[in-house]
Amino acid sequence: MSARDLPRDPVPGETLLRVDGISLAFGGVKALTDVSFDIRKGEIRAIIGPNGAGKSSMLNCINGFYQPQQGRIAYRGVERRQMRPHDAASQGIARTFQNIALFRGMSTLDNIMTGRLLKMHVPFFWQLWRHGPAMREEVEHRRVVESIIEFLEIEHIRKVPVGRLPYGLQKRVELGRALAMEPELLLLDEPMAGMNLEEKEDMCRFILDVVKQYGTTIALIEHDMGVVMDLSDRVVVLDYGRKIADGSPAEVKSDSRVIDAYLGVGH
Amino acid sequence: MTTGTATAGDTPQTRSARESAGATGGGHALLPPGCDTLPKLLEDAIARRGDRPAFREKHLGIWQSWTWKSWRDDVHAIAAGLHGLGLARGQTLAIVGDNRPLLYGAICAAQCLGAIPVPVYQDAVADEMAFVLAHGEAAIAIAEDQEQVDKLFAIGTRAPHLARIVYDDSRGLRDYDHARLASLESVMEAGRAALARDPGLVIREIARGTGTDIAVMLYTSGTTGQPKGVMLDYDNVVTTCANAVAFDRLSTDDEILAYLPMAWVGDHIFSYGEALIAGFCVACPESGATVMNDLKEIGPTFFFAPPRIFENLLTQVTIRMEDASAPKRWMFRYFMEHARRVGIDILDGKPVAATDRLLYRLGEALVYGPLKNVLGLSRMRVGYTAGEAIGPDLFAFYRSLGLNLKQLYGMTEASVFICLQPDGKIKVDSVGPAAPDVQIRLAETGEVLVKSPGVFRHYYKNDAATRDAKTADGWLRTGDAGLFDADGHLRIIDRAKDVGRLADGTLFAPKYIENKLKFFSFIKEAVAFGAERDAVAAFVNIDLEATGNWAERNNIAYASYQELAARPEVYDLIAGCIDKVNRDLASDPALAGSQIRRFLVLHKELDADDGELTRTRKVRRGFIGERYAPLVEALYAGAPRGRIATDVTYEDGRKGRIEADLEIRDIAPALVAAARGAAA
Repeated sequence: MSARDLPRDPVPGETLLRVDGISLAFGGVKALTDVSFDIRKGEIRAIIGPNGAGKSSMLNCINGFYQPQQGRIAYRGVERRQMRPHDAASQGIARTFQNIALFRGMSTLDNIMTGRLLKMHVPFFWQLWRHGPAMREEVEHRRVVESIIEFLEIEHIRKVPVGRLPYGLQKRVELGRALAMEPELLLLDEPMAGMNLEEKEDMCRFILDVVKQYGTTIALIEHDMGVVMDLSDRVVVLDYGRKIADGSPAEVKSDSRVIDAYLGVGH
Repeated sequence: MTTGTATAGDTPQTRSARESAGATGGGHALLPPGCDTLPKLLEDAIARRGDRPAFREKHLGIWQSWTWKSWRDDVHAIAAGLHGLGLARGQTLAIVGDNRPLLYGAICAAQCLGAIPVPVYQDAVADEMAFVLAHGEAAIAIAEDQEQVDKLFAIGTRAPHLARIVYDDSRGLRDYDHARLASLESVMEAGRAALARDPGLVIREIARGTGTDIAVMLYTSGTTGQPKGVMLDYDNVVTTCANAVAFDRLSTDDEILAYLPMAWVGDHIFSYGEALIAGFCVACPESGATVMNDLKEIGPTFFFAPPRIFENLLTQVTIRMEDASAPKRWMFRYFMEHARRVGIDILDGKPVAATDRLLYRLGEALVYGPLKNVLGLSRMRVGYTAGEAIGPDLFAFYRSLGLNLKQLYGMTEASVFICLQPDGKIKVDSVGPAAPDVQIRLAETGEVLVKSPGVFRHYYKNDAATRDAKTADGWLRTGDAGLFDADGHLRIIDRAKDVGRLADGTLFAPKYIENKLKFFSFIKEAVAFGAERDAVAAFVNIDLEATGNWAERNNIAYASYQELAARPEVYDLIAGCIDKVNRDLASDPALAGSQIRRFLVLHKELDADDGELTRTRKVRRGFIGERYAPLVEALYAGAPRGRIATDVTYEDGRKGRIEADLEIRDIAPALVAAARGAAA
């Protein structure tokens, strides 16, 4: 990964998203308790923690899938209390899922095309005809999708139904669909789970390239510590729904609370 | 770059008589007077076929085309740009990457300037690449993308001459230190500016070239020792390409898919040299993984592939047919059986009964046509396979579909062509008569010696190797042993150094015999012994899958490989195979004496972990002879059985010892051709 050898601005841009005092509970179960952190423009922000620490819940709050009982989320400086997932999507927040959520019977191309849905403006009536404005719009979207296919090096599976693809490639298609939304903030939920070393290295390269080429900001959840420490600019650590550490990979790695959370505390 | 969407293609029907003008003229009709280099030929051709498609490449899922004129303009821009970077006459330019129109353009640009292009195997690791770059003294390297640029940077000071790296695809390279790095686009931009100031810049350089200039330097793969740089001049390349174009009547209506490494001589001759002379269109696949898809979309009329590609295609077909519905399976079997019977005769223009012809037509509509379409070979007019021996069944399968698949024999040092099979005179076990303008002589040792316009000048900075490769009077030593059959077709039997003689002096080519045995699906490996012995004897390894299948269908019970291998029925089966090989050998007077007289079926599979095979699954004959010495002795002592105890290494690393008592069978030799003729 030679791209990592190049110096990158350690504190990239202004704050893109600020999470302030978020608490989320499902009945009596407290998933998140008073969590605050920020994501800056153009950085790779990792959220880590042991199983059940509340990482996926945090992503779900950010893209509006869950409504936290307390706290505020400010995106692009605009604070909000209520946001639906499709609002989040139309404002430039895209995500991938821990369990792949693709249309298994559809081809790679069509799956990525679904990521363009929010950007299609020609009315349904016109689309039925595939003519005039509808055709022009489709050609334009296809161009974007093809550039993503090229970017992710999945030309060979363009027309293959994703259900027939191996797991690592499905993950890549899912990333492609998220990219098709041209997001400003991309949330990746365990993008490398279940991959072998080579697939992980490929995925790391794609994530770095996304940041560089599209200028996308990335928040990712990942269990592979090697990947997290290599890839991310800053890391926030959750344990039992609370934030226990926040900082650069090196800082987090040497934090005693983090070590305790991962390895257990000797009593 | 002028681009446009590719039209679906030019049908073979549009071919007219005009292109066959060169067919009888020995190729030289294709070469206008004064055009002794490829860049001159390109310039000359622009007026005639400037608007014909030259190269195609897929961009964002759509095929984009260069016409010969637009490609020539890009070549000039690259040439002027490289001139500006200081690339001078006689210097070398390394080209590292997959087949891309602009990388072919870079080859041509170097040739325009009188510099020597050196295509490098793009999948070589940095260490292998370092040798070629350092030895070839490349001053500038053109790299396809970040991957190749990273490798070139990793080589660093090990290639001290390399001053500049130019890349085609800028992805991921934006933040690199550009002190030694430049994009091909920027080089072409500078080149266009230079051409605007001095329009004659490149044309003047082209005019300075002559036929004896070095056209290209191609490194041999170096399976034994370090790679050697083969220097081919324009007289080599232009004459051989023109001959080959005339031989197969290639024209601007043809199309080829360039997917084999650019550093390989075959690609350089087929996809570059011949394209420039014949003016056919070269399509570059989107990526290595999409070749099979691209094949379907392009439908090349001229196709080259090593046997393993044809084998993969057939395997895919077989697997998909097994998943098909019962009526389709029946139809496929029925018509393929019919094709096996009459297809090749129809292709070769031999007389075939009218009813059979009619049935074949029906098969074409129902099975062969759709199948060829799925394989991407519907439009294939000429296809070649080379590189290694192709199995007779595999070869027959494609030919029976009506595909004009042929074999050729060649090597880098001969600008590929030594032997070519002419249309209609195809034999599976020979590589055809000498190609146009090629003389072939067999040395005392059986080694094939070649004299042709394509024989290379010399190896770069390696005179000792050049002296080994060429005789004093200019014959090229191929290192292969061969024989001519009654029709004057050359048959390659083995590497010359492996060919031995029996005690009575009969020629003995172990690999030739082993290959013949291995073409039977029941036989996985075979080892032939006989050098300095009275007769040939062989070890056979059965193929567990094929033989096991056969055993099941014939109600033969077995519990292990060892037990199956020892069954008398299996011995009968293998004896039948050997008998066929013997009859084959008997038909050739030179080899009739080397028929297999005794054999045994080994109790264990030969394995690379035990050192019996190389990692590329080649039999290590000498080692096996020592390891199984008691069995070899038993074969030659005339004993009915042989005992052996061998140490083996299991997959998990444990060591063990296997003892076996093996049956040895005698085989009656087939009658020798001459004797048979007398009997008849």
